[in-house]
This record gives sequence, C-alpha cells and structure tokens, in this order.
Amino acid sequence: MANLSLVVSPKSINKRLPGDLAMWFFILAELTVFSLFFIAFAVTEQFNVEMFIAGKSMLHTFAGLINTLALITSSFLVVLSLKSVSVGKSQQSVYLLILSILAACVYMATKLWEYNQLFVMGIDIETNTFFTLYFLITGFHFLHVLLGIVILICIAVNVKNGGYKESITGFEAGASYWHMVDLVWIILFPLIYIL
Amino acid sequence: MITIKKITLSWLLLISLTLVSILISSVIDEPRLLTFIALFIVFLKAQQIIDNFMELKHAPRKWRFILLSYIFITPCIIFLIYII
Repeated sequence: MANLSLVVSPKSINKRLPGDLAMWFFILAELTVFSLFFIAFAVTEQFNVEMFIAGKSMLHTFAGLINTLALITSSFLVVLSLKSVSVGKSQQSVYLLILSILAACVYMATKLWEYNQLFVMGIDIETNTFFTLYFLITGFHFLHVLLGIVILICIAVNVKNGGYKESITGFEAGASYWHMVDLVWIILFPLIYIL
Repeated sequence: MITIKKITLSWLLLISLTLVSILISSVIDEPRLLTFIALFIVFLKAQQIIDNFMELKHAPRKWRFILLSYIFITPCIIFLIYII
C-alpha cells in the first residue's frame, strides 16, 4: 500500500487569518453595504448631474483631506500598537492606542464641524437628493467610527489590565474592524469630495 | 510578519497618494481621466491597507483575494457608471 504523506508547502505553514473568523464575515458584510451605497450614489449622480456638482461644491475638500489623514494615521498607530503588545511592550501599546483614539477624535471633530457648517447654511438631509445621500453615507460611516473608538478604548483598557498576554486574537479582530472603517473612507473620500 | 519599517513606508505612501489625489483634482480637467486616476489611487491605497495594515498579505490566499476583489470591483463599477 502506498504511503500517503501530507505535503505542506513552506509558504503555507505560517499563513494565518488575523483575528476572529466571525469578524471577517462581519467586515465583508459591512463592505458589501458600503459598496452598494457607493454604487447608488454614483448612479444617482448620473441622473442629477447639476445637483451633484452644486452639492459637492458646497463641501469642504480640505476637511475631507484632514479626515483622510486622521483615519490613515489612526490606523497606522493601531498597527504599531498591535506590534508593541505582541512583543510584550504593553505600556507602549497603550500610549499608541491613546494617540490612535485622539487621531480618530480629530476625524469626529472635523466631521461635526462640517455638518455644523452645512446646518448653518440651512442645508440638511432633506435639502435634496445629493445631501440625503451625503448625510446618509457619511453619517453611517461616522457611526462606524464611533463604534471603532469604543472598541479601541476597550482594547486599551484590556492592554492596561494585562490582557493579550496569551493571545492577541481579540486585539487583531478590533484592529481589523478599525482598518475596515479606514478602507471605507478611502473609497468614500474621492467619490464625494473629488470626482 | 510585516515589519515596522514596511508599515511606516505604507503609511507614508497612503498620505502621499491622498495628497496626489487632491492635486490631480485641481490639475486635470478631463472628467474621465480624473475619474480613472482617482479610482486607481483608491485601489492602490486600499491594497496597502489590506496587505500591510490588515496583514492579509500573509493570510490564507482566498481571504486576501476576497478583500482585494471588493476594492477592485467597486471602483470598476463606479468608473463604468461615470463613463457611460
């Protein structure tokens, strides 16, 4: 009888999905919802070209730029924090998470300022189709950032209390969610502010 | 394992590409070309996040493929909508 042996490619030995499998399915579901939003926005724009041009001209591209830089930097700091905790530098990890949360707060403050500027001009979600979609998409993303901040705070408290010594799966899952929020904004920013 | 140096380079690239996307919007007047370049930049940025921040470059291939397909297909659909 032939001796069957399991052949494992050296490249596949260390291949591991970071975090929980459930979180990745959640991320795929979220990306699907946002993709549909973006496609709906692009389609609606084709039927209301002038309205969308006028609407986009009332947005602050610079505020959008600040938001993008804040989220990218926050994501970067979370990666560094994860690296720190994986080598046992818990204190450094907490500091990096605090900086990451502060960067996220810059996004929140800028977004709220943007909303306020529009409200002062008498623009709200019912003004026209463009602003309905603008407030729906950016508002939905804003809520995700809010949830992400709560998750980052929970992770920071856990690290502070000596968590993730044996396994960093929970940290990885939270970090992956945060990167997903960043990923969504990467598509949202040019679609609403640039194109 | 993604190194800190690689993550830092990725972060710098993301910031640079963001600034480039702002710059091209004020330089390029042709809408189709602007749309193509802006969405191509989206793909490049998203690929950096997926590979280096989410660390899917060293994850099982199918998961990386699924995530990359999202950030490829969505901009492609948007581009087609804009050019039609």
